[in-house]
Amino acid sequence: MADTKLLVIDDEVEFAATLCQRLNLRGFTSRDAHSGIEGLASFAELEPDVVLLDLKMPDMSGLDVLAQIKEQNPLVEVIILTGHGSVHAGIKAMEKGAYDYIMKPVDLKELLKMINAAITKKGEK
Amino acid sequence: MKFWRAWIPKILPSPAKSIQGGKEVKGSYRRFARGLSAILLLLALTPLTLISVLSHYQYEKLLQKEEMDQLVLNLDEAKNRLEEFISKLQSMATFVASSSHYDALQNPVGLEKLFTALQKEYPEVTDIEIIDNSGKQKAYVGPYNLKEFNHSWQRWYEEVTKHGVYISTVFSGFRDVPHFVVAVRMDYGHQKDNGVLRVTIEGNTLQRFVDGLSTSYADDIFLIDENYVNQTRPRKYGKFGSQCLFYDLGISTKRSLKKIIREHDVISEEADQLLVNQKYVDGKNVIQAITELDNGPWRVVMIKEQYIYEESWQSFKKRLLIISIICVIVSVIVTLEISASIANHLRESRKQWLAVRDKAEESAKLASLGRLAAGVAHEINNPLAIINQKAGLVQDFMEMTGEIDHKEAMEEALNGVQSSVERCKKITHRLLGFARHTDVMADEIDINTSLREIIDFLAKEAAYNQIQIAFELDADLQKISSDKNRLQQVFLNITNNAIDAVGSHGQVTLSSKQLDKDHIQVSITDNGPGIPPEVKKRIFDPFFTTKETGKGTGLGLSIAYGIIQKLGGTIKVQSEVGKGTRFEIELPVEPPHE
Repeated sequence: MADTKLLVIDDEVEFAATLCQRLNLRGFTSRDAHSGIEGLASFAELEPDVVLLDLKMPDMSGLDVLAQIKEQNPLVEVIILTGHGSVHAGIKAMEKGAYDYIMKPVDLKELLKMINAAITKKGEK
Repeated sequence: MKFWRAWIPKILPSPAKSIQGGKEVKGSYRRFARGLSAILLLLALTPLTLISVLSHYQYEKLLQKEEMDQLVLNLDEAKNRLEEFISKLQSMATFVASSSHYDALQNPVGLEKLFTALQKEYPEVTDIEIIDNSGKQKAYVGPYNLKEFNHSWQRWYEEVTKHGVYISTVFSGFRDVPHFVVAVRMDYGHQKDNGVLRVTIEGNTLQRFVDGLSTSYADDIFLIDENYVNQTRPRKYGKFGSQCLFYDLGISTKRSLKKIIREHDVISEEADQLLVNQKYVDGKNVIQAITELDNGPWRVVMIKEQYIYEESWQSFKKRLLIISIICVIVSVIVTLEISASIANHLRESRKQWLAVRDKAEESAKLASLGRLAAGVAHEINNPLAIINQKAGLVQDFMEMTGEIDHKEAMEEALNGVQSSVERCKKITHRLLGFARHTDVMADEIDINTSLREIIDFLAKEAAYNQIQIAFELDADLQKISSDKNRLQQVFLNITNNAIDAVGSHGQVTLSSKQLDKDHIQVSITDNGPGIPPEVKKRIFDPFFTTKETGKGTGLGLSIAYGIIQKLGGTIKVQSEVGKGTRFEIELPVEPPHE
């Protein structure tokens, strides 16, 4: 578990930071980024196993970030974090290669299940 | 054209104009239908009336012409026969005069013999006398005692000695019986033997002859003398010996008749000797024609009651009337039906249009409320997610921490935070049914003053950024009745956006102008970077912002849009990237009726 690296990309600084903190408490190595550009830079640097990605960001849309991540490393699994009422956006992201989506406010237990499943899937590849 | 442009809207009020506040003004379509009927009826009945009147006039003229033709032909025939008759009488006198010598005629026995023979042939001859060249009667045969009568002082005697022949008009004289005289001069080549033969003929002779001339065509025929005194007994129009009813004939020939006479071939040839007229006698319109006889002192009068009493004219009029009435009835029915169905069609279309519009408005409202709710949900979700995570983190730490004081109570409190987050999530759902009800205040506003006031708020910030604020205000701008606070909110919001957009050294211009008597326009123009088309499309959407997170709510322009709509105005944005942006707000002078 300690080897599993996670990247949280969300423009809500507090949210991303707290989520990272909680994931780290659970043995993951996670880092947060607060914009699309910053996220892509961190992605190249950290080479995470799973990316948690917000769809609405001021500089780039989550879908564009997703496309670039998948271009750089198709094996990385991406879990989309969407706001209320954006189920459609989550599904659209899955069509573009995201592993799954989860609605904010996030239920951590559910997220953990999703991350583990994603890791399992990545391991199978 | 001007006349029609001014009158058509009055006759034909537009039903669309009579819709106020989305509701049809009662009776507006009925008024429209009535106006339309009036115009259509006018269009249908005008040619109908013209054609009817023209047919009536033309047919009347035709009949009149034909009638005149007949009358003149009949009169001509009557004239010829009368002239023949007179010349026969004249010949008879001339024959008698030339058959015997003057001396033989002076012999009463010889004259008596001649008279008897003459009476056999001409029973109407009453007497016969021979007058010498001094005017004295030389011989007389007849029922009256006229022997030795001196005629030299009489006018007829003078006439006959001068012209050779004389025919008198009908007169009673001292015999007291209507008669006329035919006199001929007896010429034997030497003066002293010259004398005059005078034959007296019963007036009735003339009457019988004229009666014999009566045709089925003419309604009356009689003779008059040069003074328009009746010389025979008219059947209907006048009495023997009295003034002819048509003595004023030559003076009052009607213009319409004169025209007919002029146009008429048959009549115009004889027009010089012919007098034709129309007169109203005993409740009847009659036409009369009078012509002079060439060889007698009489004029023939022929009278015809006018065609208007005849069957063909009456039946023509009746048919014309029936056809006209049928046409009018059909026109009225068709026009009313057409007008009603057009008005109905318009009303239905209008109703459907209004329904569609209402529906579109409703769905636009719902869509914008949906966007609003989604925006609110998103905006609230982010802080909620943070609260959720922060509380979760604290819970994580609590689990990792050993027993501490009040641990249970703290865990309970954290659970409370989490359940409140859940509740908030539910509230965002309810936002879907969100609708704002607020009343609009009506103040009298000087827009120019309002614009200056809002600049007072922003002056400092503008000066700090070296932004120039300019005014282009219409000094004669009408005051408007609207909600001052809300309008200022809108102006402030847009101006604030403009100031933010232009950055330092930019320029923002506020202008006002009168569009028409019911509308004014306020525009706020900046020379900032402009708005890209994809942003411009969504600029009034709730929660749409291009500002950094936390700096703008994305509600300013959306609220401004709502306010301006509520105040009955419109807001438009024009922008070109690199050149600047212009917001145009159009406002009514009077607030819309609720």
